[in-house]
Amino acid sequence: MPSSSAAPNGILVVKNVVVRFETTEGPITAVDNISFNVRQGEFLSIIGPSGCGKSTLFNVIGGLLTNHLGSVEVAGESINGPHKSIGMVFQEESTFPWRTVTDNVAFPLELVGMERAKREERARHFIKLVGLEGFEKRYPGELSGGMRQRVSLARTLASEPKILLMDEPFAALDEQTRLLLGDKVLQIQQQLQQTTLLITHNITEAVQMSDRVLVMTYRPGKVKRIVEINLPRPRTSEIVGSEAFGRYVAQIWSDLREEASRGMMDEEAQALHHQGAAP
Amino acid sequence: MAETGRLTRAAARAPMVSAVVLLRAAIILAVLAVWELLAHSGWLYRDVVPSLLRIVGALVELLGHADFYRNLGVTLGEIGAALVVGGLSGLAAGILLGANRFLARAYEPYLYYLGPTPKIIFLPVLIMWFGLGSESKVALGTLSCFFPVALSVAAGMRGIDKVLIRVGNSFRASTWQMVLKIYLPAMRHPIINGVRLGLGVALIGVLLAETKLSSAGIGFLIIQAYSVFDMPRMYAMLIVLFVLAIGANGLVGRLGGLHRIRH
Amino acid sequence: MTDVAAPATRRAGNLAPAAAGLGSLVAFLLAAEALIRGDVISRFIVPPPSEILGSFYRIATQEHILARFLLTTGECLTASIMVAVFGMLIGVIMQRYKLVQMACETWVAALVSAPFVLMYPLFMVIFGRNSWAIIMMGFISGLPPVILKTIEGISGTRKVLVDVGRSFNLSPVQQFWKILFPAALPTIFVGLRLGLIFALINIVGTEFLINFGGLGQLIEDLAERYDLAGTYAAICFVILVSVLFFIALEKVERWLRPVD
Repeated sequence: MPSSSAAPNGILVVKNVVVRFETTEGPITAVDNISFNVRQGEFLSIIGPSGCGKSTLFNVIGGLLTNHLGSVEVAGESINGPHKSIGMVFQEESTFPWRTVTDNVAFPLELVGMERAKREERARHFIKLVGLEGFEKRYPGELSGGMRQRVSLARTLASEPKILLMDEPFAALDEQTRLLLGDKVLQIQQQLQQTTLLITHNITEAVQMSDRVLVMTYRPGKVKRIVEINLPRPRTSEIVGSEAFGRYVAQIWSDLREEASRGMMDEEAQALHHQGAAP
Repeated sequence: MAETGRLTRAAARAPMVSAVVLLRAAIILAVLAVWELLAHSGWLYRDVVPSLLRIVGALVELLGHADFYRNLGVTLGEIGAALVVGGLSGLAAGILLGANRFLARAYEPYLYYLGPTPKIIFLPVLIMWFGLGSESKVALGTLSCFFPVALSVAAGMRGIDKVLIRVGNSFRASTWQMVLKIYLPAMRHPIINGVRLGLGVALIGVLLAETKLSSAGIGFLIIQAYSVFDMPRMYAMLIVLFVLAIGANGLVGRLGGLHRIRH
Repeated sequence: MTDVAAPATRRAGNLAPAAAGLGSLVAFLLAAEALIRGDVISRFIVPPPSEILGSFYRIATQEHILARFLLTTGECLTASIMVAVFGMLIGVIMQRYKLVQMACETWVAALVSAPFVLMYPLFMVIFGRNSWAIIMMGFISGLPPVILKTIEGISGTRKVLVDVGRSFNLSPVQQFWKILFPAALPTIFVGLRLGLIFALINIVGTEFLINFGGLGQLIEDLAERYDLAGTYAAICFVILVSVLFFIALEKVERWLRPVD
């Protein structure tokens, strides 16, 4: 179970975050007054229907989006831009195709000026951690999609962030690879006691990996419910078949379905409006 | 000679390769044969197409003269300087335009339409500004080279996979680190293509300027040969020039591939 | 993503960069005017922009501008059409016959920026000191890029589109005109633009060198007469012609490919 940290509120504190955009249709509120805490060593998933603002939240917490109300604090420090305590793993392919696996993973270490020998050794450690030992000299082009995501993960882990922030990192992979990679990530998280925040739309994934699951409403995104997942650890993908697992999934799905339907109706209305069919 | 393979639909790779070699040899032989025929036919004004033997003789003589190498050095130096100045400024301009939407929309159209304009028209003006020496030739080469590089790099910047930029930002890379470690490697193909084109037009620009200014360089030598109607010598120099141009082009292309492996 | 302009201001957003570009150009010209009149820059090297503008009329009426313009444009047009027709033809043939493609493609690629212009004495001897020598120079130098891009464009057609054609039992000729050629057009146009650039450089360059005919010669003439303002004006004029030429090319492309 995650231990309590020095900061009683949790290592990540998101308080009253509001994000608004100006669009051609007028102003929209992507995220409306979201607050939550993440405890040290905890695995928290944020799940919601498409269009609920979870990727926006990802960019806010990661510091890539600073135009918002409210605050984000990591270990007491306020986030005003990309912060060294936060490591981001993106949804799309993000390995550098012109660098070997080792050079990809060593990238953050290179940026802070670590000498070559030391950073290559560090990189090798994380390459081994994600299970890509032996592929150090290969190029991303020679690897499968799942392996490339592992390289991205290793690269982010190499910067040893206090908080690992992932935006649907397995979205582009097939279901089986996803489950197995999920195992790997869980394993790593346990080993490093890494505080992890996972953005996803996949309920199975959320329940499989998390200590808690935060369900978001459709836009404007608010916290609909936070579900404590009391499944035993260590967990593997085998747990997917169990009864308790099924109950959590059902519970979250019923929340999610409501929001997802609202989302679908909204999108259909928008499409009609664009065609001029609706007044 | 290599054995001929049969070009059936299921022909394996190996026979195909020797067929290619055969065809190439055949083409070269045909061209040389036609040339020699023309040379001896008397159809064209004397010496417009000199016999191959005389051309080879002139080539050998040319390559033995220190004079030739001196002029070659001048030309190569001018082209090199033009590439460096034009290439680097083009790179900088391209990065700026590619990174900033506003600047691109304000200024890139000018580059786009000025680019194809033949820069030789600026030569009189450049001579007024830089004098009759190497500087104006380098200036012309630089002007020629700038545009294709800038346009290619600007387009290349916009083509960089956006997620790679976000990765750099998420790791708080400085602007300089972003340029060196992300923008440039991600754009290596557009950069190389831009440089190849820039090399080509810089070459033409410098040679034209040399021809006009008539003081030093290969362009000058060619005009000199023509003015005394020493055609074999002119052809010999054209051959050298073409070989150099093709070689440089190939070299630049090769560099593009090399970069990837080293880093 | 910070605030994006609301619909009413979107249009203004489009005008602002263009205005900035134009504005800085005007500012630059005004600054040049001031510096030259103030003798910071010698007016014997760069005449003030106002004087250059003034000489436009003089150049236009006195120097048989129309005749020169027609001559150069005629040469460019002829060379362009020849480059397009022969370049695409050769490209199609090479792509069709793989053996020829494999043998010759690298040769053509090597010739893309070869300094053909230096062979102008040769062309003059063969064709005479007239427009044809110039046109042939433009033609030869513009050919390689068009050939290459034609090959690239046709080869790059997505296989699924070819399969669609085969599923409808199209004859090879139909396959070419209805599927391969339209699919290759964008790439071919890239090649055409490149080929035209080289052709134009060689045509104007040769005119300039051999003192014959059109606009290229005009610049050379005016420079020799030390008519500075006129030289600059003529240069502007040539730029204008070149710009118009390539805008025309774009219009042709837009007409052939209305959807993008």
